[in-house]
Amino acid sequence: MGRAVVQDLLYQGYQARFLEAGIQEVAETPVSVDVRSVVMARAMRPSPDGRGDLCAPGHIGPGPLLAFGATPLEFLRQLAGKGTAPAAARTGGRTWTDLRRGLIGWDGARGALTQVLAGAALAFRQTEQRRAALVFEELAATETGAWHEGFNLAAAQRVPLIVVLDAGDDGPRGDPARIERLARSYGTAFDSVAEEPFARIFSTVTDARNRALAGQGPTLIALLPRNAAEPWAAHDAFVEWARAEGGLSGQEVRMIAQAASAGVEHALRRLAKEPAAEPPDALAPVYAGRLPGPPWTRRDPPEPAARG
Amino acid sequence: MSAELPPQVARTREGRPATVLEGIAEALWEEMERDGRVFLMGEDIGAYGGAFKVTRGFLEHFGPSRVIDTPISEGGFTGAAAGAAHMGLRPVVEMQFMDFISPAYDVLTNYIATSLYRGAGPLPLVVRGPVGGGNRGGPFHSQNVEMAFFHTPGLKIVYPATPRDAKGLLKSAIRDDNPVIFEEHKGLYRAPHCREMLPLGDETIPLGRARVAKEGEDLTIVTYGLMVHRSLEAAEELARDRIHVEVIDLRTLLPLDEDAIVASVQKTGKLLVVHEDTRTGGIAGEISMRINERAFEWLDGPILRVTAIDSPVPFSGALEDYFLPSVADVVTAARYLVRY
Repeated sequence: MGRAVVQDLLYQGYQARFLEAGIQEVAETPVSVDVRSVVMARAMRPSPDGRGDLCAPGHIGPGPLLAFGATPLEFLRQLAGKGTAPAAARTGGRTWTDLRRGLIGWDGARGALTQVLAGAALAFRQTEQRRAALVFEELAATETGAWHEGFNLAAAQRVPLIVVLDAGDDGPRGDPARIERLARSYGTAFDSVAEEPFARIFSTVTDARNRALAGQGPTLIALLPRNAAEPWAAHDAFVEWARAEGGLSGQEVRMIAQAASAGVEHALRRLAKEPAAEPPDALAPVYAGRLPGPPWTRRDPPEPAARG
Repeated sequence: MSAELPPQVARTREGRPATVLEGIAEALWEEMERDGRVFLMGEDIGAYGGAFKVTRGFLEHFGPSRVIDTPISEGGFTGAAAGAAHMGLRPVVEMQFMDFISPAYDVLTNYIATSLYRGAGPLPLVVRGPVGGGNRGGPFHSQNVEMAFFHTPGLKIVYPATPRDAKGLLKSAIRDDNPVIFEEHKGLYRAPHCREMLPLGDETIPLGRARVAKEGEDLTIVTYGLMVHRSLEAAEELARDRIHVEVIDLRTLLPLDEDAIVASVQKTGKLLVVHEDTRTGGIAGEISMRINERAFEWLDGPILRVTAIDSPVPFSGALEDYFLPSVADVVTAARYLVRY
């Protein structure tokens, strides 16, 4: 991993951490920012031209969004339901899709994103594009039929898909042996990530991606909980790793942290000044193209017609 | 060339009349020939050619990357179709029977129908399959599913009644940028009386436009699918008593061609809605309300409906015949309205 990638990762990791505070300020919604998800997403090949890999961050928070090129301001606009938000406040939270950047938003249903990303990966193979898809799901998704249907299809078709199952604090369900048995039952590769060095986390996804592009089908990766009680322990370890891996001085680390913090603070200040959504604009695009007939709303009722 | 075609897609090229099933097969074939982004997914549609043989021979011609036999998982492959549509393809998903669409309800209503609204872009995909009763299929192979989705903004629902409409509407559905649920009545698939010559060439029929299946002045019947034919039979019988019925075939249920219904009611002053779907929550209620909003002043009688009764579809032939709307039911309701 080169120094520039490490700098990128460190910057995005700090952004994710500072966003956590901003998110709670804006939406009063705690979001678990797991810096490992930034590293995993960054191991893919995002591209701003719609030709890179795909990522569905799902429940995991803004980390993968940042790794795929989203800015803190865009994320906060979406979360806060501003009129300037990517989805113009017609939807909020983590439902933001930006196909140009390769981001697919969540509809809240566990397992659905595995179905959708399986289909996107199928399309990559059909159109002979060297692209792969990464989806984050809570481990609880494996208790839904939707997830199994999606992953079964992906495995049967051997599509280039990587599924990260976030074990969070799921207790016995998070037993890696159980998740490995799940992967084996579908005939797919398996790996797990816990407190390994971040370079190993990065290479876990890189290896999965390489297998996917070589036609070897999906990989299931278990994202296991860290043992540390302190919520930012992972992040602090990440900073230490980045410093060593990238050969960064303390001064460079501080500059990166300051830049990330300034970016998030700027985004929060700007967000406060931005307008809320306007109903007529927000409710327009339910269908592509113009529909026939006289669509009216309760605000624009039809004139009572007389028979004459 | 036509000698190499599967028989169900060769009728029009051979100058012979086609059934509804053949119209559908021709539409799929021609759209796949025209646009490399169109591909098929479903259970047993490849090697087996589909439960009703709509796609017989497609696998051999288009190959396994465009005719994909899926696991038995309607939710999974409908969700996958959404992902493929995100990536610019135009999937056509076959439900072996539309009764089996219910496992895909979540992804259709929560993910697919909301995609454009959420800023995730249009999802051009078609979910098609056989519906309807009269074939002694019982409660799990005979349902009409339109009203389970009618209340979902973002979806379109198409339900053709003739071979020409089936072909032209399916072509339009495949080219539409919105997700479309396309219902095909099994009772019409191979019905001999429905055979008709289809135009050579690339005819599409726009979604959202009803057609006047028969003109009349005394009463409007609004209907769709197999019930178009039942209503036309009823209209013939009524004509013997000089009652002239106008039959409107909706063709597309969502969006509903309200203007066509209103124009007809303004002409006749009487409205009867006929649908095979069950009564409560059927489309008759919505149509009645729209006429109330836009053409109440023109009504010379109550709006009536002839529908299936509120029950799961029975298996026994005697029970199913009692359950389904008949020509006699339509005639009785029409006579009552005309006398009113």
